[in-house]
Amino acid sequence: MSDSVKVPTWKESLLEPLIANNPVMIQVLGICSALAVTSSMKTAFVMGLSVTFVITLSNLAISLVRNYVPNSVRIIAQMTVIASLVILVDQILRAFAYDLSKQLSVYVGLIITNCIVMGRTEGFALKYPPLPAVADGIGNGLGYMLVLCVVATIRELFGSGTWFGLPIMETVNNGGWYVPCGFMVMPPCSFFILGCLIWAVKTYRKDLQEPNEYDTHREDY
Amino acid sequence: MLKLNKDSVLGTFVIIISFCLVCSVLVSSAVVALNPFKEAAIANDRQVNILKVSGFEVKGSVAATFAQHIESHLIDVATGELADDKISDKSQIESYDFASLSKKPQFSTKIPKDQDKAGIRSFSNLMPIYFSKDDEGKVIRVILPFYGQALWSTVYGYVAIDPQDGNTVKGVTFYSHGETPGLGGEIENPRWQAQWVDKKLRNEAGEYKFQIVKNADHEGAGKDFDIDALSGATLTSRGVNDFTDYWMRTAYKPFLEKLSQGEIIK
Repeated sequence: MSDSVKVPTWKESLLEPLIANNPVMIQVLGICSALAVTSSMKTAFVMGLSVTFVITLSNLAISLVRNYVPNSVRIIAQMTVIASLVILVDQILRAFAYDLSKQLSVYVGLIITNCIVMGRTEGFALKYPPLPAVADGIGNGLGYMLVLCVVATIRELFGSGTWFGLPIMETVNNGGWYVPCGFMVMPPCSFFILGCLIWAVKTYRKDLQEPNEYDTHREDY
Repeated sequence: MLKLNKDSVLGTFVIIISFCLVCSVLVSSAVVALNPFKEAAIANDRQVNILKVSGFEVKGSVAATFAQHIESHLIDVATGELADDKISDKSQIESYDFASLSKKPQFSTKIPKDQDKAGIRSFSNLMPIYFSKDDEGKVIRVILPFYGQALWSTVYGYVAIDPQDGNTVKGVTFYSHGETPGLGGEIENPRWQAQWVDKKLRNEAGEYKFQIVKNADHEGAGKDFDIDALSGATLTSRGVNDFTDYWMRTAYKPFLEKLSQGEIIK
């Protein structure tokens, strides 16, 4: 764990996870919550903020103590920090955004099991000093939030005709013209939207496509 | 200073224990420090929802409007009588936690399986109710909590009843549920809730007639009793219909009878 390894710059840690190394689209982590909370913008946005908060602070905390964490129990040490931070976020939401915390229900608690958080503390914060770790946490949190907000925008707009709760297309139930697409509000729908997003990003940025693991043109297949 | 090897058995224990101590102190102090805010948020949420069906707009602060127009009481569900004196601390009436007390045997009554249309297994012996009073102090609505299983979740709501006849619905709201947004979640839609207003629970012969059905009858015999089921949410509609049925036909029957006979509000 020496600091002599090449430390990524602030800019790299912050910007890489937005598109090029996006935790959801490229690493395909944290999909569970991305399915569950994206039926409306409000919940997706708050979830994104909460995850960013947790990743950033857990990265900072783990990075500060990285030279003292016993190797054999490092995962447990990380879980302790992450779980404490998640409880903190949950309590803050309950106290100051009661309505939203009711809507997010168990998913705030489930940030603990979000692979992105653990992935960053294990893969980054244990190796690098606090400042890059914080930048990495913010970057990954924002990358997660970006994907959530894109998915939520599509789902809320076509599923309920609103955005952040503001009516954009007046639905039939409210006396307007738009017949909401019921499929959009169901969780499986985000699978399709996410799939399309990954497809779009990897088509636009050819350098992000992984090489085939085998040659599909080989004769003997 | 003693140099502790972090990877030795002792070092691992010492470090992990101090880790846990720091984290637990952090978590518990946050929980304790935020407690008053959480309680205020819950109380505010309850008052907002009660006021929604009270017939009064919120003027100024929620708490002030609530204090001006709403009076909290307890009723004994089995007899239908007011039971404010059954608990010693009067300030607890407004926030009487019927949902968790309904699971404690000494505070609740089991519902026989064949009668349990709400899917709640037992009910709290005492229920909080709220009188909505106008500026002269006349009770214009009686607000009753009701709840039960819908499709995915237990749905909680308040229904406002006309105290004159104990039979006419004056408003409804649902304040906690986990139904699918856009489908079953449409029970929150004010346009749907508006259908409940001025519906009757029982016909003149005293038979319970209120129902949430597909193809509700808006013209003929069902005009006063039928509410359209939500499209795309058959099971949520059925759940709401069933628990409304349970509370209004069975559980609150003694209270509603006493209310209509003028025994509750004198």
